Amino acid sequence: MAVYKRTYKGYEGAQTPEWSRFLILPRYAWESLFKQRFLLIFYVICFFYPIGAGIFLYINANLGMLASLIEGAGNLKGLEIDGKFFYIFSSVQGSLAFILTAFIGPGLISPDLSNSALPLYFCRPFSRTEYVAGKLGVVAFLLSFITWIPGLLLFLLQWSVGPEGWFAKYSWIAPAIFLSNVMWILLISLLALALSAWVRWKVVAGALLLLVFFLSTGLAAAINAVMRTDKGSWLDITSNSGRISLELFRVREFMDYSEGQGISIEEAWVAQFCALGFCLWLLWKKIRAYEVIK
Amino acid sequence: MNPVWLKQISAVLRLEIKKSFFARRGLWIYFLALIPVLIWGGHWMVMRYKAERMHTHAQASPGVTREKLLSIKQGMTTAEVEAILGHPASSRTVTRRNGTEFKYWTYSDGTTTRNITFRDGAVQRLNTEHAACDLQEDTVIFAGIFQFFYLRLAIFFGCMFVFMNLFRGEILDRSLHYYFLAPIRRDVLVVGKYLAGLVATTVIFCLSTIAQWTIFVLHFDPINRDAYLQQNNGFSHLLSYVGVTALACLGYGSVFLAAGILIRNPLITAATVLIWESINGILPAALRQISVIYYLKSLCPVEIPMQQGVPPPVALLAVNVDNAPPIVAVLGLLALSAAVVFISTRRIKRMEINYSTDN
Amino acid sequence: MAAPPPIEKSLIQLNDVSKFYGEVLGVNKINLAIPPGITSLVGPNGSGKTTLMNLITGLLQPTRGSIEVCGMTPEDPETFFRNVGYCTQFDSYPKGFTGYDFVYSFLRLFGWDHAECEQRAWRAIDRVNLREAASRKIAGYSKGMRQRIRLAQAISHDPRVLILDEPLNGLDPLVRAETIALFREFSGEGRHVIISSHVLHEVDIISDQVILMSSGYIVAEGQIKGVRSEIEEHPMQVLIRCDRPQALASRIFESNNVVEAKVHGDGGGLLIKTRNADEFYLMMNRIAMNGIMVETVAPVDDDVQSLYEYLIDDGGGGGGSKS
Repeated sequence: MAVYKRTYKGYEGAQTPEWSRFLILPRYAWESLFKQRFLLIFYVICFFYPIGAGIFLYINANLGMLASLIEGAGNLKGLEIDGKFFYIFSSVQGSLAFILTAFIGPGLISPDLSNSALPLYFCRPFSRTEYVAGKLGVVAFLLSFITWIPGLLLFLLQWSVGPEGWFAKYSWIAPAIFLSNVMWILLISLLALALSAWVRWKVVAGALLLLVFFLSTGLAAAINAVMRTDKGSWLDITSNSGRISLELFRVREFMDYSEGQGISIEEAWVAQFCALGFCLWLLWKKIRAYEVIK
Repeated sequence: MNPVWLKQISAVLRLEIKKSFFARRGLWIYFLALIPVLIWGGHWMVMRYKAERMHTHAQASPGVTREKLLSIKQGMTTAEVEAILGHPASSRTVTRRNGTEFKYWTYSDGTTTRNITFRDGAVQRLNTEHAACDLQEDTVIFAGIFQFFYLRLAIFFGCMFVFMNLFRGEILDRSLHYYFLAPIRRDVLVVGKYLAGLVATTVIFCLSTIAQWTIFVLHFDPINRDAYLQQNNGFSHLLSYVGVTALACLGYGSVFLAAGILIRNPLITAATVLIWESINGILPAALRQISVIYYLKSLCPVEIPMQQGVPPPVALLAVNVDNAPPIVAVLGLLALSAAVVFISTRRIKRMEINYSTDN
Repeated sequence: MAAPPPIEKSLIQLNDVSKFYGEVLGVNKINLAIPPGITSLVGPNGSGKTTLMNLITGLLQPTRGSIEVCGMTPEDPETFFRNVGYCTQFDSYPKGFTGYDFVYSFLRLFGWDHAECEQRAWRAIDRVNLREAASRKIAGYSKGMRQRIRLAQAISHDPRVLILDEPLNGLDPLVRAETIALFREFSGEGRHVIISSHVLHEVDIISDQVILMSSGYIVAEGQIKGVRSEIEEHPMQVLIRCDRPQALASRIFESNNVVEAKVHGDGGGLLIKTRNADEFYLMMNRIAMNGIMVETVAPVDDDVQSLYEYLIDDGGGGGGSKS
């Protein structure tokens, strides 16, 4: 009978707390992402507009001082900073966020799936929810730093330098900035992750993200035109996001939704949540610790 | 041409056509091609349902004529309406919590239906539906969907997948060396693969065009159908649409074939070509000719009028520029495609198999 | 079917060939003239064996230098690949293919008709003993079967030059022996068989010559024994089985070339180290005729394993040999 020495000792050190364990994935992902020079440059470019907007807000609030410095600038009139300003800000940053997602998102899950790496994650104390949250965190945190966080900082700047009573009049803008951007971030990141999990081919997933956004708009327009209806807009995820933002920033005049030009705001919210739900369902179907071989 | 090359091209076609048509990964191309067919099919069914319902309503309210239907105005009472049109073919009453009463009445003469909404006994809203489709309007809608959805999105992305897959897909699957180790010139291989992609996309998308047109024609009532086919040159429209579809596959195919050989990331390719093709209308004349959509638009049989209130991105797509004459458009597109395929045949000779850097 | 052009030259020649992947070195300054026969490429992972094979077959293009295979280059694929067969390490296949499809479709690319391709495909499949599995999808093949079907594809067009990247990987002993026999048959017909392998004892058995590579450089090339004799830092070891090893040891130091002698642990032999094996063997003849019963005289370290240890494990190129 063989006698073996009991030399094995399990790990007894400290563990990452369960609640923050999902953050391990973003930490490593960012490290490798920012090794790509193009991505780093693009991310830096994403801050140009917020910085420019901040400078504009400051100058706009201090035109009196500017007038005293520049000869003949006495008639300068400040611009009213309202929902329109922050709507435009969110739209510009939202577009940049989309481009960033198209580059980052597709490569997050597909390599794990195509290299059968998921079992390596799930054989550790790491759940599917934590995996998805971690991967979502990679994109969502990055996008937050170029969308709602600078948006709120601009809001605070305007509050501090703007005219008296501005905050009381426009306090609703802060939740609008947060809500509209978070909805957009969730939508594009979950969609990118779902496509990345679905096609398992990271380069195709990027192109597919582009296709989904353009196709949903085209398809909605085609259905609306042929069927003489506006219900096709349920499929138009871009337009529905825009619709929600317009309502939140109270700038309905930017787009005419009065006469069959799209679905109602309530329907737009439902459509967005359906899209989010679909992405989550797809992720749930594809992210598994085992593989079904047919 | 060297007879061995022909045999080799046919061998490549044999392998690639099977892949292009039946690859599981590419099944969504059928979906892209099928979308407009489904939309027109849905429209046809809705129109048939409407016509049947109108017929039932007309039988339920005899004596209703088009003049009588159109004579109903806002503010009339239920009694006045009933005096003109008689008992409604269908009616529904809803009473809100605040006590407001809404009545929904429907009348039809078999070709026109009027839905009348009464609020507290007076006509508040009128809605008119026609059984027959509007020939002119539908023709423009068909052209719009063909140009803006089918050409610019479905065929564009379909060709992108099929043609980029010819080389880039093989690199990702690590199977391109299978060809590169055979005694086949690489330029012959490019031609063979391009033809295979062309056959697959042309068959899929042209069949879809024919199906769309057929359903589009069938959904008209016999009078409008005859008018479309006889007076509006319906068959020549079909030929034009099928021809434009085939040329689109040829043109976009060549562009994406080259992109698959030259560029690693299809996202960059797709975005660049998509933007280039979209801003075609506002480009200088010389640059405009270096695009596929310029020639395709010139060959489309129906001009799409710019409507007011169109959102800016869509308006950009619909900018009407001077069209090229058909012969110039066809030859221009053929020349453009030939030039791009030629560049691909040159570039492929320097291509290396280095799979590890492509994943 | 067009007859292949006459092949005047019989060497695979690489002239000052270098390949860089950006700033990463693939292979550097390779000068080789490989004669017909079985040539083995030996070296650790990342030493540049596959890169060298890919360069020879045109899958990669050299950053510098030129390559000719029996007077042909991959720039003329129509001639080149009718004469060269390459069994790569890439374990991927066109989707949905059976083993037969894989070989047959490849042959169709040669421009041959159906009957010709069918006949050649079955012949190649038979040579690798895969007829029974040929109609099954490759996706369901074992590793060894996939290796064999790739080999069948590489030999299906009866090439003059056969290049094989790790061809014995995943093969069971029986098939391994059959495959080695196939290589011998090929080389026996005056063809080139170039093999890369990690299985050193097999390389030792089958190779006519070896090319040892390390970190993208050629460390040694030539016939194994020739290479061994050039490694001066490591005197050659010879094991002599005899009845009186101590007596033999005292006699042996008459030769200036013997640097060390050790009685074998079982007392029935002597392990010596010599700087000149040929002179030592001559001396052994004389000793054997003078009363000591010598059973066997066998070199211990003139195999590929030893070359590998001396030239690569010691730091690559340490031997500084040239053959």
